[in-house]
Amino acid sequence: MAEALVIRNLSKRFGGLRAVQDLSFAVQDGETVALIGPNGAGKTTSFNLITGYYRPDTGSVFAFGRELVGLRPHEICGHGLARTFQVARPFGKMTVLANVMTGAFLRNKNLDTARSRARTAIEFVGLSAKEHTPARELTTIDQRRLEMARALATEPRLLLLDEVMAGLNHAEVDQAVALIGKLSKRGLTIVIVEHVMRAIMAVARHIVVLDHGQKIAEGGPKDIVANQEVIRAYLGTGYRYEAPAGDAAC
Amino acid sequence: MTHIWKTRPWFWVAVLAAIALVLPLVVSNPFAVDIFIRVLLFAFIGVAWNLMGGYAKQLSLGHAAYFGLGAYTSTILLIRFGISPWIGIIAGGVVAMLASLPIGALCFRLRGPYFAIATIATAQVLMLLFLKFRDFAWGAEGTTLPNLGDAPLMMQFDSKAAYYYLALALLALGLAITYRIERSWMGFYLVAVGEDEDAAEAIGVDTTKIKRHIYLISAFLTALGGTFYIQYIYFIDPNTAFSFNISVEAALVSIVGGIGTLWGPVVGTILLEATSALLQSWFGSGHGGVQLTVYSLILVSVILWRPSGLIGVFSDLYRRFTYAGAARAKEVPLDG
Repeated sequence: MAEALVIRNLSKRFGGLRAVQDLSFAVQDGETVALIGPNGAGKTTSFNLITGYYRPDTGSVFAFGRELVGLRPHEICGHGLARTFQVARPFGKMTVLANVMTGAFLRNKNLDTARSRARTAIEFVGLSAKEHTPARELTTIDQRRLEMARALATEPRLLLLDEVMAGLNHAEVDQAVALIGKLSKRGLTIVIVEHVMRAIMAVARHIVVLDHGQKIAEGGPKDIVANQEVIRAYLGTGYRYEAPAGDAAC
Repeated sequence: MTHIWKTRPWFWVAVLAAIALVLPLVVSNPFAVDIFIRVLLFAFIGVAWNLMGGYAKQLSLGHAAYFGLGAYTSTILLIRFGISPWIGIIAGGVVAMLASLPIGALCFRLRGPYFAIATIATAQVLMLLFLKFRDFAWGAEGTTLPNLGDAPLMMQFDSKAAYYYLALALLALGLAITYRIERSWMGFYLVAVGEDEDAAEAIGVDTTKIKRHIYLISAFLTALGGTFYIQYIYFIDPNTAFSFNISVEAALVSIVGGIGTLWGPVVGTILLEATSALLQSWFGSGHGGVQLTVYSLILVSVILWRPSGLIGVFSDLYRRFTYAGAARAKEVPLDG
């Protein structure tokens, strides 16, 4: 399998705080990888470094054979990496359709083409009924859906999802998990930052654990939950790994 | 596009155009025609401002810079080189576009109120520069334009109606450009930039480039207004051409009428200019503060009760009467 994304020795400091230190990991093409760790471990910072919102102090981000460090976010999106934000950031006064069309214009400037591609993405995330609703009137989960549809409309090869399940209830988490599974089946490479362990275990085949900006463990779900350092830093001793669809969420 | 035009939009535009076309034939009072011309001109400048300030929410308070550059370019070409303002008006637009590049490069580094303040500075600096250009641009005294009588080729007319139609043509041009942009990818990108620049970048919008492009268009159009205005009043000096009032007026008519809507600046200008003309005729020029007071009252009321602009009042009324209006309204994606 080819490598979709290779992170090498990525570091970023904010003043005295080492937000990300010497981080390296690779994501294979078509794989779903989860980035987990306690709050402030550097997960979102890593996303911002990968997608061009922050410039790393050192290190490189290689995606689909191209160096991304130094590129602007829109250029990185152009190279096939689309992201969502931890707090959904829809264009509030636009309708759902207009939001997603804005994403679709990246690959095709024609209005009709963009509209039909946007509709496909909206249908995929299950928002078709709210196509004409202004984005600011959507519920939290629908705003996340919208953001995913908008990202998908840019026709990415790699999707970076930042805590798409935070604040969702049980049933909604299941829906989100199903959605990510569907995306993965379509061949999309996915990097996901998440706290909902139940969801991570269900979607990720590979997990990278961060703590204080450093990678403390990496491996399959079973190895991770058995890893003493991960238990100490993040999961806690009470965490028990069960079957992927199980309910042992933190 | 605003809701009021959604059922049979072209019918309403045709009605409006017909009224606008026959107006100077029906009304011959020069005072009234002068007000109409000012309404058209400021509506046009508002439309130019609105492209950037309204859709992309880059609140510039320095559009007088381009108004003045347009005015000075055509006037210098006319007086120093004898070149017709018809060429000068385009040259002024090009000069404004060129000026918008470095000004944009500097100001777009800032966001929100800081951007607005920086743009004020650019217009003021240009005004100071032209105050110093005594030999070439007549300094603070300014100059009157040579009166050539009825000389259409030099953009000078005996009848006010001619100026009226010229201003109407400018407004039509501005509206047509806005309409085209609103219905293309560019309109979506502009609104996206106005809503959330980071989120726009995330889906591949080159925010720097789109802002630069819309600034070019906005500056070009504003400069056309500058040339027209100077040709109309036959006089130019830095305080007129780079007047802070122009910058404020351009923003104000859009904000009052409806920011980021096609017809907002037009509605806003009609209200504000009509009010100011009426106040002037009632109070004369002795009570300079009255006009500003009423302006601010209007502005405060709009911001309190109709932050999206007065155009919303009309569209609400219209929709209440036509259910079809509401149903069709949903077909237009860009609207909220």
